[in-house]
Amino acid sequence: MRAIGAIVFFLAAGAWSVPPGMAQTSGPQPPCMQCHKPSDITIDPARLAQSEHGAFDCTFCHTTGFDKFPHTSTRAEMRDCIDCHKERKLTKIAQAVKASVHAKRVDRAFRCTNCHSPHYFIPASHMNDVSEAILVANESCLGCHAKGDTRADKELELAKKHGYLYHAALHLQRNECVACHTPPGQETTHLILPKSEAVKDCATCHAQNSMLATKLYAHLALKERAQQGFVNAILINNAYLVGANRNKWFDWGAFGLAGLLLVGVAAHGLGRWAFARFRRRRS
Amino acid sequence: MRRDFGPYPLWLRCWHWSNLLLFVILLITGFNMHFSNLAPPPVTFRTGVLIHNTAGILLTLLYCFFLYGNLRFGNARYYLITADDITPGLVRQARYYLWGIFLGSPHPYPHNPHSEERKFNPLQKIFYLAVMFLLFPILIVTGWALLFPYLLPNVIFGLPGIASWALVHTYTGYFLFLFMIVHTYLGTTGATPGELFGYVWHGEVGPEPASTLRTPD
Repeated sequence: MRAIGAIVFFLAAGAWSVPPGMAQTSGPQPPCMQCHKPSDITIDPARLAQSEHGAFDCTFCHTTGFDKFPHTSTRAEMRDCIDCHKERKLTKIAQAVKASVHAKRVDRAFRCTNCHSPHYFIPASHMNDVSEAILVANESCLGCHAKGDTRADKELELAKKHGYLYHAALHLQRNECVACHTPPGQETTHLILPKSEAVKDCATCHAQNSMLATKLYAHLALKERAQQGFVNAILINNAYLVGANRNKWFDWGAFGLAGLLLVGVAAHGLGRWAFARFRRRRS
Repeated sequence: MRRDFGPYPLWLRCWHWSNLLLFVILLITGFNMHFSNLAPPPVTFRTGVLIHNTAGILLTLLYCFFLYGNLRFGNARYYLITADDITPGLVRQARYYLWGIFLGSPHPYPHNPHSEERKFNPLQKIFYLAVMFLLFPILIVTGWALLFPYLLPNVIFGLPGIASWALVHTYTGYFLFLFMIVHTYLGTTGATPGELFGYVWHGEVGPEPASTLRTPD
């Protein structure tokens, strides 16, 4: 994980790609793109433009040491996420990461950028398509936790590891890894648990009080939880969860019909008994 | 009358009670999955799914056996609807259940176990046809589809794919449950409340046709 962090930093700094003679010497806005061209494999400019940080100049985060070549910046000199994101939520997230298996067993200085690429990051709350949010979120996990050249290969490998799940591949495709690998009942998706502590009780999600509606889809759940009579309607956009996606009108209708039928049958039976008794007395 | 022949041969009785057992298991485990937040559940969700899937596969095999038995042993002929069954059959039978049965009127279609033509009254035929040749196939096909959800289209007629199959499966199960209530109740409409159940359990219908003998609807 340290190695990956170093590679991310190395690529982000782009030191390897600056050819001799093209070094930026000075100036408040280094023309990064003269060297880091759109065809450059380090950063995808199109994805960067769409990301949350797409409107920023490179030097907004890559603050010092980039005015010379080779770049002399160290990670410690760069802006950190917390420098801008000072709100309480991020503090909570930082605490969760500290308590997570990532910080405890992988790297005590586990950083946001280990999972969230600052160049491509789009908050899930800014995505309308839940499937897209899941795809992006799981990409971070697959980077370290699955082997394979393609995403399909990685998903296949991961599905084998999750063989205890019914339709493991479908679960992995339509669910975020962190849904099961964080403590149930808490909103956080950053307190990653060791795999031995992952959620294994199906009813945690397959129930009316599905964890997914309050955790994974928290930003959409409030407005879409009870559309058209469906509980957890938001989940249906992406998947159908037995137990979690019930239609209360259909259910009440079914119960009502069964109740009426039982009452009708009981009344019919009682009537037969009463009439038979009456006939016996008369005869 | 030999037990292997007549209106309630051994294969049919075996199918009937096995079908009931599997259907009740499917109902309980299906209910367990659908209302999984009810506490305490009869079994865990995971165990419920395993039992439900296994019982569903067995029910399919049993349904195939039912189809085979009907064609092989001639039971299918009892389901054939004639014009007389529609008019005036349905009205006569409905009128009997709604009124005549209270007055002790004779059954409009008395059951004759020796008859080669008729075992079911017109209402029975309609309901049995709908249940066994429409609702059951729907239940089985949607159930098998849900065993392979990754093969289902994401969208069907603008509705989410898996959800549509699951809703049809769930509420078909509900309707069959409602049918089971009525079917069980009408089983008590023999000369004694247990008479008709006895026929379907033992297969014995007696040496002489009883003029008022009826089978459960």
